[in-house]
Amino acid sequence: MATAPDRLYFVADFNIEPLARELANTTRPGLETAIAPAGPVMAALAAGPPAADWSAVVWTRPEAISEAFARARAFERIDHDQAIDDVKAYAAAIGRFAARARSVFVPAWVQPPFARGWGMLDHRPGIGAADLLARMNVALADALVGAPSVFVLDAGRWLASAGARGWSQKLWYAAKCPFGPAVIELAAADIAAALDGVGGRARRLVILDLDDVLWGGLVGEAGWSALTLGGHDHVGEAFADFQRALKALTARGVQLAIVSKNDEAAALEAIDRHPEMLLRRGDFAAWRINWDDKAQNVANVLAEVNLGAESAVFIDDSEAERARVRDAVPGILVPDWPSDPARFREALESLRCFDAPVQTAEDRARAGMIADERSRRTALAAADNLDDWLRSLEIAITVEALAPANLDRAAQLFNKTNQMNASTRRLSAGELEAWAAAPAHCLLTFRVRDRFGDYGLTGIVGLELAGSRARLSDFLLSCRVMGRRVEDAMLHVAAAHARARQASTLVVEVVPTARNKPCLDFFLGSGLRETRHHVFEWDLSQPYARPDFVAVADHARVAASSDP
Amino acid sequence: MMDEEAARRLVYGAIDIVNRQLPAAKRLQKAPETIIVGEGGALDSLGVVNFVIAVEEEFADATGAAVQLLAENMLGDGSPFRTVGSLARYIAARPA
Repeated sequence: MATAPDRLYFVADFNIEPLARELANTTRPGLETAIAPAGPVMAALAAGPPAADWSAVVWTRPEAISEAFARARAFERIDHDQAIDDVKAYAAAIGRFAARARSVFVPAWVQPPFARGWGMLDHRPGIGAADLLARMNVALADALVGAPSVFVLDAGRWLASAGARGWSQKLWYAAKCPFGPAVIELAAADIAAALDGVGGRARRLVILDLDDVLWGGLVGEAGWSALTLGGHDHVGEAFADFQRALKALTARGVQLAIVSKNDEAAALEAIDRHPEMLLRRGDFAAWRINWDDKAQNVANVLAEVNLGAESAVFIDDSEAERARVRDAVPGILVPDWPSDPARFREALESLRCFDAPVQTAEDRARAGMIADERSRRTALAAADNLDDWLRSLEIAITVEALAPANLDRAAQLFNKTNQMNASTRRLSAGELEAWAAAPAHCLLTFRVRDRFGDYGLTGIVGLELAGSRARLSDFLLSCRVMGRRVEDAMLHVAAAHARARQASTLVVEVVPTARNKPCLDFFLGSGLRETRHHVFEWDLSQPYARPDFVAVADHARVAASSDP
Repeated sequence: MMDEEAARRLVYGAIDIVNRQLPAAKRLQKAPETIIVGEGGALDSLGVVNFVIAVEEEFADATGAAVQLLAENMLGDGSPFRTVGSLARYIAARPA
């Protein structure tokens, strides 16, 4: 199954048409949208979305959900617990709605900027509406923790960013939508980013220039000691702050790389020795520091870290270089970049392209994995051949069934793996859990480590049993582990599980996409018989051989298994 | 008083705002003869409301003065909102 198109359903207690139009006509042209019939929001939530493959925006005003809040805004004394109970009932309805949707986005509640409430008392607990609204938003987020496909969006930021025109009473009176075009535009951009994140399209690599990007000045001409970076200088502080923001980004699982026209020795000396550098050599997954064409260098970096251009962002202070890379590397995001270093951090943190639906242990550990990967490459360079290198890695795989502890990471892998992915089936965490619970289905997760470090959960196999045939519905492996014979070991485990369930034939269809040729190439060379175009079969009377240098600990193995 | 060219630029600013919510084929052209309200216009009722309020806000930004244009008698026969050109002339003739 190819990647499903995005469909977005709107449920609101105000006229949400401007947001639907903005998304479908400008932010995400061609997006299929539908709006719930006019009527109570709770009724629309009870009715559910048009189909399970729709995502939804559920946007309400707080006074429409809680009469107690409306009375608090009118300076009546109310039981604030009543408002929290209203929130819980609303959250429960959203949870039930979300069980029938792909993903649900819920903008947090806001008040009009002109609403001063009790003034200096408005944040006093038990009195002020501002205090109550903050508690309601926290209660909403808390109540939705158990619904992993529901995301509460920060509408307060939209209103603050939009300024004086963010809220319009005139629009409310005339068109029953209180939000001005600037808020609608910001909301649409965040919702589109959320759709990208849920669809596995979040970006994972930032490729950076050096001179006048990470530091001020030309390192090749002046040397590292003359660079503007840190210290008691507002420009130096801006560069240091930008580096700090980049370093923080790595904690989200985003990798950094360098492409710079520069003298490599001088640049690396600056990175290693400048006392104000916050990013050191170990923070970069790859670099190309030379005088070659930047577009080619970007392509080389992408190949080295095994990511596609759709996963990358390119940051350069030169408009000409940005245009060159934008033209020559289709799919890469090349943001316009400010000339003033004081705006670098803002430009980076404003990018929506890193928004992902989960944050996993693998994401948090990715920065540390960079050094592991560099050690592997050093070992590869020293090895006589690829086979010797693979044997030296001491690869060990742990197989586990899908479980609550690995669900988020499994769903993340499902939604962002492109290259080694047979079906490119995209499923939310809830959909994945439901699919795996079916008696004829089996979903296996693969954790991979070697002597250099732990890659984490990086592979998934889905099996669908139908009589004597076991269909490999899903076969996907992170690009960080591709080409290390882990694929063969996964196929070995899949065949063993299929045999244990009395299947006689293992079948897999590789559904071609623009990105999964590596997967097709693997199956073409796997020894499975191609019975139809891109359909491969394995006779399960024979086990599928495991590479002898890959150790497998199968904790999901059923007792009936007879394979070695 | 605002000159007619400045008023036309103001109207174009409002067109930029409402065009974001229109399909590419229905977007208003930035030209004096573009029809806004009435037969041949591309805006539905929500689009007209958004456009008129956008013009009011652009006017306030440009002059610092408030103007109230969203009224029934402004949108009927002989409305200054009929075309971009007629609206620009109407705005230019108003005291700021």
